Parts: sequence; C-alpha cells; structure tokens
Amino acid sequence: MPLLELKKVKKIYQQGKIKVPALRGIDMVVEEGEFTTIFGPSGSGKTTLLNMIGCLDTPTEGEIHLNGNKISDLSRKELAMTRRFNIGFIFQSYNLIPVLTAYENVEFAIRLIGRLAEKEMREKVLDMLAEVGLKGLENRRPNELSGGEKQRVAIARALVKEPKIILADEPTANLDSETAQDVIQNMVKMNRELGTTFIFSTHDPQIMEYARRLINLKDGMISVDKKVDLRKE
Amino acid sequence: MFSIKLGLKNLSRQKRRNIITILVIAFAFFGYLFMESMMNGMEEMSIDNIKHFETGNIQIAHPEYWEDRDELPLEHLIEWDSELGSDLRQTEGVIGLSPELRFSANLNNGIDEMRVIGVGVVPENYNQVFETQDYFIEGSMSALEEFRAVIGEQMARLLDLTINDYVILLVRTKEDTFNTIDVEIGGIVKTLNPVMNNRMVLVPLELAQERLNVEDHITMLSLKTASGEEETSIQSLEGYFRQKGLPLQSYTWRESAANVIALAVAKKSGIGAILSVVLLIGMVGIINNIILSGLERTSEIGMMKALGMKEWEIVFVFMVEATGIGVFGGFIGCLLGLVGVNWVVKNGISFRFMGADMSAYGIPILDRIYGTWNGSTFYYIFFLGIFVALLSSIFPAYWAAHKDPVEAIYHR
Repeated sequence: MPLLELKKVKKIYQQGKIKVPALRGIDMVVEEGEFTTIFGPSGSGKTTLLNMIGCLDTPTEGEIHLNGNKISDLSRKELAMTRRFNIGFIFQSYNLIPVLTAYENVEFAIRLIGRLAEKEMREKVLDMLAEVGLKGLENRRPNELSGGEKQRVAIARALVKEPKIILADEPTANLDSETAQDVIQNMVKMNRELGTTFIFSTHDPQIMEYARRLINLKDGMISVDKKVDLRKE
Repeated sequence: MFSIKLGLKNLSRQKRRNIITILVIAFAFFGYLFMESMMNGMEEMSIDNIKHFETGNIQIAHPEYWEDRDELPLEHLIEWDSELGSDLRQTEGVIGLSPELRFSANLNNGIDEMRVIGVGVVPENYNQVFETQDYFIEGSMSALEEFRAVIGEQMARLLDLTINDYVILLVRTKEDTFNTIDVEIGGIVKTLNPVMNNRMVLVPLELAQERLNVEDHITMLSLKTASGEEETSIQSLEGYFRQKGLPLQSYTWRESAANVIALAVAKKSGIGAILSVVLLIGMVGIINNIILSGLERTSEIGMMKALGMKEWEIVFVFMVEATGIGVFGGFIGCLLGLVGVNWVVKNGISFRFMGADMSAYGIPILDRIYGTWNGSTFYYIFFLGIFVALLSSIFPAYWAAHKDPVEAIYHR
C-alpha cells in the first residue's frame, strides 16, 4: 500500500466570476521513505499540490489517500487531527513562534501529540535539535538564530513528532546557497536515518540534485515524473 | 499547559500596546473603586448624619402628623407623660429616647430674619439619642438647661450671631396666634449635618411648650436603639401601642430620610453605570488587542493550524493572553484603588467648590466626603474584570483562529 496516493486531483479557485484551475488532474503515488522534489515555474501549482497533500486544503475534484485513509473529504477538525499526527511542515519563511526558544518551538509540536512522558519528551526534543546541528542553541529565540539555524529548528519541529510525511514548500528559498545546501543535506540525512518521507518544492536546480524523484509540474499537470540516481548526498 | 505558557509568553510581544491596555484597564478599575468608595462613604455619612442629628434610629408620631411633618404642624400631637416615657424606655432594644416639639419659626436678630426649624428638647434625653453635644464650637448643651438656645454655626455666621446674643423666635401657637420665644444664644454647634447647621434652633422643651401653648404635648419622639435592634424595637413598640390603644406609629430613619434613600437608589444606578463604563473600556481594550494580535500573527496562526492545532486550542491561547492582560490590569487597578481609597478614607474630598453644603443637592453632608472600605468590591471588580477580559476575547480570538490555514500561512 502506498503512503500517499492522488487520483485525478483537481483544484479550481474562484476569483470573482473567473475560475482559475490550479491543478488539472494529478495522479501520483508516493511510497514510504521517498525523497521527492516537485519543481516547476511559479504558478505551476506546486504549493497548491503540497497544500492538498498536507490537508491544508481540499481538492475540488479527485481523491487523496494518506496511509490508506481517504483524506480529501474530511471535515476541518479531522483534517487538523490528520495534520497533527501524520504530517510535518517546513515553510519557506520558517514560521517559528518568536517568543519561544528553539527548544520550545520544537517542544510545541510534540506536546500537541501528547503521547510522551515529560522526561522522554525532553530527551526527544534535545536529540532532535542535536540531530539538526543545533546543540547548544536550544535556549535561543528565533531572533538570535541565523536563517539556516531557523530552518533547522523548523526541520526539527517537523520531524520530532515522527510524522508519516514531511512537506517542505521551497524550504531553501530564503537562504544563501551554502546554507541551502546545508539545510537540504540535513533533510537528506533525516530521510536516510529516520526513513521519513519528504516531499519538497523548489526552483533551485542545485537543490534538485539531492532528490531521488523529480516531479515537474506545468500548468497544474505533471509533465515529468522520474526517479533519479543519487547524485549528491 | 503549553498553551497557557504560550499565551503568557505572548504578553511579552507588543509590550507598548499591552502596557497601554493594562493601564487603561487599571485606571478604569481604579476609577470604579474610588467612585464606589466615595459613593458608599457619601451614603454612609448621609445615613449617620440623619440618624445622629435629625431622626435617631426610630421616630414615633401620630400617623396624621407624620404625613404632614414637613410642614411642622401643631396638630395630632403626643401627650407626653412620665408613664409613656418610662414604658418606651423599657422597650426591647431602646437605649435612648428624646421627646421633641418641632415647630416652624422666624428667627430675628434685630436686623435680619430667617425661617428656621425650632426644636424643643430635654437636653438630658436629647444627648441619649443625638451626637450634637460632641460638635459644640462654643457653649454646651447645658445652655438649654439655662433656658438658652443652641444654633448651628452656619446660621450664626449668616445672622452674625455669637454666644450670649439675644434672638427672637417668632412662632404661631397651637391656636394660630403669634407669640415669641426670646432666648439668649447659649451654644453654637458645627455638625456634619446641614439641616442642623443651617436651619435648626434647639430650645428647652418646657419653654417651647409654654410659648406654643401645647401644654405637655410633643410632636414626636426620637429613639436610639442598640445596633441591629431597629426591627425588634419597632415590633415591640407597635405591640405596645396596640395594647394601650395609642394612635401612634413608629418609623425607622429610612422613612424619614427620603433623600438619603433616593441617594442610595441613585448610587446603585450610578455605580452600575460606572461599572458598565469600566467594563466597556476593558472590553474595547481587550477586543482591540486581540484583533490586532490576530492580524499581526496571521502566518503564525496558519503555522499552528498546519501543526494540527484545533481552532479552540488557538482561541484558548488568545484567551490566556487576554486573561493575562485582565489580571495585570485588575491587579494594578486594585493596587491604585488601595492607595486611592485609603487616601479618601483618611482625608476625604472637600466639596467647598460646590459651596460645601450639599443639602441643596439632597445630600445631608457638609464640607468633606470620606470614602469607605469595602474589601469585597476589590475582589468583585478584580474577578469580574478577569471574567469580562476572558469573555470579550472569545469572539476576536475565534475570528483570528477561524482563518483559512492556506491564506494564513502565506499571509504577508
């Protein structure tokens, strides 16, 4: 059974009287542990597709199955619960809570799950921050961290709850190329060590070199979907 | 717990705005506590003034006289004898009894004339019921025993009278003929009661009875009761009147003090209005704060939703924040209130700018109004304030939390 399956997914936005199709019928299957890049020009539907997969939005037509469960017609509350337990997000602009420390930002995600004892939770958060190379920076607030460090906190936050899938929408767009490489390498490492499925969108050809599957979106449709050999690690 | 932590940490954001909201709430609370203390003090002082200088706790009169008592008639009088006095003194709860003959008079100092309320009293009995004896600025109550009169300081000032001056009280007798009471001023009092200070002239009862030609009659009796014994005494008195077949009735000071009762009613609605304004100020502050926070944190709210937070969980974070503002505002307001109320209880506020005599406004108080302590008001306003802060945050917090997650995340 695939981790994620999209069947003829369409998304049409209504802008006044005009209907704007963002996705025109996406069929896609993602297996557990994949490291997939979605690329394409601006407006091709990358973000819309990630939002559909991430239960942040619902398709106009078609079905989405995550871990065998149909998620395309869930209620707002059910979608929230699916996101809470199954999906991790990494955003372009990090979206960290400024009043919380790096530790607390990561802790926030795991507390929502609420399955672990206090001590276990603390160890897990600290381990995860160490994994992404932020050991010693746990008590820093976002404004005391660099862009790359912030994105690492976001990665730790997404990973700490051990979701089925992590969705990253242009996670390196706000970073310089060296930091971007560093962040993407971190994601590759997590994918390899934890077996977490990653799907991320990007424009950056350098970053695409790390992907093992490339999906090219054009005008809301998949134009290329190919598995590639590991070129960088 | 984490939501509470986050809500409280959010208080450190937008410090200036939060501090302004907290201060607005604090000053609104302070204003309420101060006003409430003043109004309670005003009511308490009014009641004390009425009881201590005008009515005692209970007054006894003929019902027909009571109806017309403001016109000071010399009809429907009480026949005063030692047996009645002795019986009434033994009534449960009664600790003092003062027979009075109230009459209308024109006081003449030889140059000017002024309409006054004459009151014939027996000093020894009068002192058992009223506190006037403690407020003499010249002379003493014993002046009455020497067939001299006692007047208020304001009246003395207006008519340029001083101790040992002679005055004439022009009165109408029971038969409606004119007569005079010629007396020497034997005492001047300055009480907190404007009626006593401005319009009342105390004369010996015997002298008044003789000049008004009412023999041994009086217009009413004022009684002082032990604390909290008013109702018991009234019941006993009513029983006694029925048993003896006397056409008399007893009235509490409340029935004598319509102005004070009206003041209490006005006070209640006044305090209610102030409270409403205070709560409205708090509500507007909190709503404004949460709406602005919701707008500023749109993408953060989107992230929270992406993490899987339910709407009510996000609402809860905002509610904690609003409650924090309410707690800080309430706490500072109560602290300011403690200082302000303490000051007004000790020093009072002079109303000399209003002419000092507030009887013109229906408030039987002279000069200063002192506040009163009411600890329960502090608890009440503090917890009500927090509750209102919490309540008023729900709608804007829900508005903020209900945003579409996609629009919220990508909001710039």
